[in-house]
Amino acid sequence: MTTAAPVEVGTELPPWEVASVSAEKMKTMAALLSDPTPIHWDVATLQALGMGDRPVNQGPLNMGYVMNAVTAWAGGAGSLRRLRVRFLGTVLAGQHLRVRGTVRAVREEDGVRLADCDVVLEVVDGDPGGDAVVSGSATVVLP
Amino acid sequence: MAFAEADLQTLVGRRFPGGSYTVEPWRAWLLADCVLADPPSLTDGGEQTAHPLFAWMAATGAMGVTWDELFGWFGASAADGPVFGEHETTLHRPLRVGATYRVSGGVESAERKVGRRTGVFDVVGYAMDLRDPGLPPDDPGAHVARCWNSIVFPRRDA
Repeated sequence: MTTAAPVEVGTELPPWEVASVSAEKMKTMAALLSDPTPIHWDVATLQALGMGDRPVNQGPLNMGYVMNAVTAWAGGAGSLRRLRVRFLGTVLAGQHLRVRGTVRAVREEDGVRLADCDVVLEVVDGDPGGDAVVSGSATVVLP
Repeated sequence: MAFAEADLQTLVGRRFPGGSYTVEPWRAWLLADCVLADPPSLTDGGEQTAHPLFAWMAATGAMGVTWDELFGWFGASAADGPVFGEHETTLHRPLRVGATYRVSGGVESAERKVGRRTGVFDVVGYAMDLRDPGLPPDDPGAHVARCWNSIVFPRRDA
C-alpha cells in the first residue's frame, strides 16, 4: 500500500493517471483479444464512419486501468477480489485519464480484511472535474 | 424480421460451448504492457500473479463461440451496435501466469426495455466461470473466478 495512513470509510485512493492513451497499445490489445473491430486501430474506418481520426480504446483496457488503481493501492495484482463497473462512455487515443477511488466500507471476511471502494475512470482533458466513462465498485484485500 | 421478446426468453439458460484458456507468459507480458501495469518477468521461474484482467480475457477467449455467433443467437450482428453495459469480475483467488483454466457458462438473463431516448433495447446477462482443471469440480478450491457481463442490443426495428 502506498500510504501508511489507516484505511477507513472515506479514505481516498491515490489518483492513478494515464497521461495520454496510446493508439499503439490498442493495436496490440486488438490482437490479444482477436477483436476484428476496426475502430480500435484503423483511422480510415473511423473517418468513413464519421468518428474522427482518434481510435477508440477497448473497454477492457479502461476496466484494466481501474484494476491497476485499486491493486496498486492495496498492494498488488493479487489483492483484487471483485470489480463491478458500468461502461458510460468512450475513451479516445490521446486522452488524459484519471482513476479515483474512495473507501466505502472496511470489513472482515473469513479472517481477511477487505475494503470496498467506489471507483471512477474519468477523462480529464480540459475538464478538471472529469467526465466519467467507467464507474463502479471494487473490493480489495488489505495487507 | 424483428427479434421477438418471446424468442429472447428462450435463450435464458443456453450454455456456451466453453473451453480452456492458458495465461501464457508472453500473453501476460503483452497484456500488462497494454494496460500500463508492470509486466511479469519472463526470466523468473517462480510463480507469478497474472493481471486480474485475465479473468475477462479467459472468459471471452474460451466462450467457445465468436462474437458474431453470440450476437447471432439474439438475432443481431456487430453492425447493429451491441455494446457492453456492465461487467463484474469476482476472483476467489489470484490468477497465475502459466496456469490453464477451464471456462464454462451461459446466458443468465434477458430483458426487453424501452428508453425514452434510446427506444427498444434488450439487456442480456451472461456469466462465465473459471475453474482449476487440476481439481475435482466439487472441490471448494476449484472455482477460481467468475465474470458476469451484460450486453445491450439496440432494437431499432422492434
